[in-house]
Amino acid sequence: MKRYFIPHRAGIIATVLCVLVTVGVNLYLPYLMRLVIDGLTEQTLGKAELGRLLAIYLSAGVFSIYFSRQLRKIPLKLSHKIEYALRTDVFEHLTRLDQEFYRGERTGDLMTRMSSDINMIRDAIGQGLLQGIRTIGVLIFASMVMMLTEPKLAGLVFALYIPMVVIFFLLLKVMRRHQKELQEHVSEVSNFSQESFSGIRTIKGFALERRRNGQFKKLNRDLVKKNMRLQASRQSLWPFMAFWFSLGMILILNIGGRKIIEGKLTLGTLTQFIQYLLYMQWPLLALSWTMSLVQRGKVSWTRVKEILDKEPSIKENGTVEPVARVSDASICFQDLKLQIDGRTFLKDIDLKIPSGTTLGITGPTGSGKTLLVSLVARLMDPTEGAVLIGNEDIRDMPLVQLRCMIGFAAQEPVLFSRTLEHNIGFGVEKPDKNLIGWAAEIAHLRNDVENFPDQFQTVLGERGVTLSGGQRQRTAISRAIARRPDILILDDVLSAVDTQTEAAIMSKLQPVMAERTTLFVSHRVSTLRYADRIVVIEDGHITQQGTHEELIRRPGYYAELNTMQQLEEKLEAGS
Amino acid sequence: MKMAKRLLAYSLPYWRALTIAFGLILFTSLAINYLPVLIQRLTDQCLMNTASPAAERIDLLLKLSILYISIAAAGHGVRYLQGILTAWIGQRIIYDLRLEVFQKVLRMQQAYFDKTAVGTLMTRVTSDIERLQHFVTEGVVGTVADLFMLLGIMGYMIYISPVLSLAIFITLPFIFAYMILINVKLRNANRDIRDRQSKLNALLQEDLTGMTTIQLFNREAATMADFDERHTHLRSAYFEEVRWFSLYFPTVEGGQMLAILLILAVGGLFILKGSETITLGIFVAFLAYIRDFFRPLGSLSDKAGSFQVALASIERVFALLDSSEEVNDPPEPESPERIAGSIAFNNVWFAYNDDNWVIKDLSFAVEPGQVLAVVGATGAGKSTIINLIGRFYDVQQGSVSIDGTDVREFGKHDLRSRLGYVFQDPFIFTGSVADNISLQTPGIDRPDIVRAAKTVNAHRFIEAMPKGYDSVLNERGAGLSLGQKQLLVMARTLAQNPELLFVLDEATASVDTATEMLIQDALAKLMANRTSIVIAHRLSTIRHADRILVMRHGELVDQGTHDELMARDGYYRQLYELLLHSPE
Repeated sequence: MKRYFIPHRAGIIATVLCVLVTVGVNLYLPYLMRLVIDGLTEQTLGKAELGRLLAIYLSAGVFSIYFSRQLRKIPLKLSHKIEYALRTDVFEHLTRLDQEFYRGERTGDLMTRMSSDINMIRDAIGQGLLQGIRTIGVLIFASMVMMLTEPKLAGLVFALYIPMVVIFFLLLKVMRRHQKELQEHVSEVSNFSQESFSGIRTIKGFALERRRNGQFKKLNRDLVKKNMRLQASRQSLWPFMAFWFSLGMILILNIGGRKIIEGKLTLGTLTQFIQYLLYMQWPLLALSWTMSLVQRGKVSWTRVKEILDKEPSIKENGTVEPVARVSDASICFQDLKLQIDGRTFLKDIDLKIPSGTTLGITGPTGSGKTLLVSLVARLMDPTEGAVLIGNEDIRDMPLVQLRCMIGFAAQEPVLFSRTLEHNIGFGVEKPDKNLIGWAAEIAHLRNDVENFPDQFQTVLGERGVTLSGGQRQRTAISRAIARRPDILILDDVLSAVDTQTEAAIMSKLQPVMAERTTLFVSHRVSTLRYADRIVVIEDGHITQQGTHEELIRRPGYYAELNTMQQLEEKLEAGS
Repeated sequence: MKMAKRLLAYSLPYWRALTIAFGLILFTSLAINYLPVLIQRLTDQCLMNTASPAAERIDLLLKLSILYISIAAAGHGVRYLQGILTAWIGQRIIYDLRLEVFQKVLRMQQAYFDKTAVGTLMTRVTSDIERLQHFVTEGVVGTVADLFMLLGIMGYMIYISPVLSLAIFITLPFIFAYMILINVKLRNANRDIRDRQSKLNALLQEDLTGMTTIQLFNREAATMADFDERHTHLRSAYFEEVRWFSLYFPTVEGGQMLAILLILAVGGLFILKGSETITLGIFVAFLAYIRDFFRPLGSLSDKAGSFQVALASIERVFALLDSSEEVNDPPEPESPERIAGSIAFNNVWFAYNDDNWVIKDLSFAVEPGQVLAVVGATGAGKSTIINLIGRFYDVQQGSVSIDGTDVREFGKHDLRSRLGYVFQDPFIFTGSVADNISLQTPGIDRPDIVRAAKTVNAHRFIEAMPKGYDSVLNERGAGLSLGQKQLLVMARTLAQNPELLFVLDEATASVDTATEMLIQDALAKLMANRTSIVIAHRLSTIRHADRILVMRHGELVDQGTHDELMARDGYYRQLYELLLHSPE
């Protein structure tokens, strides 16, 4: 945290300075008031003298207001700068963290840390500086001045304010407890509502509406009850403070008043004191509020720091110097084993994919196909064994270089809410129109694009065109091939397109695949047959491998798949 | 304006309490603002009145002090009561409204839920209603309280010194106008902050979900740059907020200083001239008023215009309350003692939207006690049949009847209480296992619950749970496997003892073979001696059905028993063989 404050040393010093000036002036003005009042009482004040005092009052006031503004502006602006720097750092760190991290985190939780937690830290810094320094300044200097003017009255003010702050603090504590109880109940009510709305079919199906309404009524009634309990403490806060203040006022008037009557004190001094009493009230009350703010800021900071302390598990090994451009894009899995959280997902994988050939991968859902292809792009590292590209262990290559070689398209691709052009050219430094057009053509996306409102400039996502599953997959294929990669990885990317489109894409994709080493995962025999070789992965290991012709004759998963899909075709042809 | 009026209608039942609240506000204002008058008397009559003897003055000082503290206690005490009362009124109004909104949502037809996201509905019952509450308590009552406070102060000020009051009031409109300006600017800045924060969050959310893609395509730097653009944009909105926020308190401070300066100047000159109209007591009292003056002023300037936000919420809530429920009950619904159980579709046409017919001219009949299986490819319109019988939707043409009575002649609630459903996605309510089975239906006791659970093979795993039937399930049955949830839901349906049964029986991939056997067995028991319609995917259920309807693109292509249909070697046979080969 310290390193975020260091660049803002000047700002912090300026804040202290502002506090000194504003506190000084605010303690000085009541003194001027006293001079005027006493002058008037004792009839020693002339018109000119009054004018002079008022002129000083005016200039001191204007002076102080300027600093009073800076006192708020400087620390708050500073807090926003720190917020900005911190959020940038966290995001930068997040772009370096890998799948191992993202697997364990929910996006919602990360979002909370990036927004509300960092906002909380910022508020703690801004208000902490502002209120903290101010309160300290007010306390020290006001007590000093009060002691110097009239020690006995000063003692009375302290005697009053100490219990006031304590009681205020306790009230806040009670309030916060009720607040928490209320919050819990509120989330209970919203859970109940959420459940009622998402389970509406079951509720209507069993005609439960009346019972549900009855239960809601009870929750709702408790909500009122809990709310009122909170109000009982919250509403007391201000009247209590105001009453306590009236009490202080009358005590000072009474004790000071006696002294005036006895001639030991002037009305001016008494007025000066009352002004101090007023002046000290708010900073003291703000103190307990600021303290809880800082407390919550600390909690948020530990949550944010958790992210910053996470190290990526995919590390650059040794030199970051790029190895000479790998001419040979053959892939080799060597005696590979992958465990995640103690569970084995892949084992005994030994495969050689010669440069320029195509490997088809199939197998039941959850057998480890996606994990296998992820290893090539180093989305994770194998527990044992190695992945080689052109006989080079990929762990010895710089990540950037490795990923530059690869075009990756996933079954459920993530597209960004930007133009289609941006999405297709996503992995290319400076994409030109020809390249985008070519990539769209290969993925059979051309016709779709022509029907979009702004063709390639069409924005995708919520505020633009929502793509169908098939269109998303085809966009992902375009994105992958637009990089003109040495290695093409297609992870079940045609699962959402119909058979005719699939055939059209495959015929266009064929020449593109022929120039590169291709791994493609699929459940469809009609696609897999294009591969030079096919492996079947069941329960984390290879159970069958060979060409399409070989495999359909061998009893096993692949032959079964083939029969079923032929039946399906017959069914579709009949419709 | 109409909205505000309608909202005020909700406060009408509490007009008595509201009147009392306003009375209390008036009292508070009169009492609390009287205190500086006492200070004036105290100063002039005790402290400065050198003419009378000291002992008398000290005596009076004590008396006035006691009066002061009593009035302060009464004023602040009443203010506390008023705060509580106002909060209570606000709570009551919101209670009524929240209940109304919730009940309204539950009454809405199924089509409404197809179109409306749960999140949107949640916003209506939570944050929109909260804003409404804020509007009632802080907005309406708060404004009245501020005005009373301000008028009270001004009244007393004029009462003790018209001249000084006039001097101060002249500056007032300027300061108030400036405060309103600052508040408007602040609100604009806040709106910008919200907008930009949500834009940044949208980007962030997308980037976090797509981080792997970003890394695979080496887009880290470009992503950072995009992020930074929106982030900087947000920061500049914050700077704008700071700019105006930092002016607010200095403005109040400046206003107070200016007022004090005026008091000192005008008062000083009058006293110097030897005028009796302004005393030192008035001086001191005015210093006290100045402090109190700016609080209601600030809060009023904040409220001017903040109603806009609340009105948007009010509008949305009322729009929900006004939306039509479409499927309505007949004025005198049919309610037979017991349904025998024959179901008939007569030339039914149905579309979820426009002319997109999902069901085309469908006619069929089911005899009481029969089990009817409906088969067909995805999108053939199978599950729509169930939706139409339970009146989740009403048919566009033709009719659906039970025991010869059109379902539209029944009351929805009454009709559905006779039907039982087993959906493919078992829905578990937060609560105990027992409550999930009984649904707290009167007359279903623990023995009934256990019997139902035993029948559908759910008893064993329920008993194995730490608290058995009293184990509390949460969040859609976390901790139970999908198969267990399905069994639990079947126990629920059986316990309700429905007169007609509908089963959406999608084969589920993640259920192991042993559980699958239990589910099949349970299904058979559920359907025994009960008119049942099963949207079937399991071969065993299909084979054991009394009759099978074969659907395709919303039309009936064939019907008969399994053996009859297989013999025909048509579409059904193909479907059947496909099911036979599917790996799951």
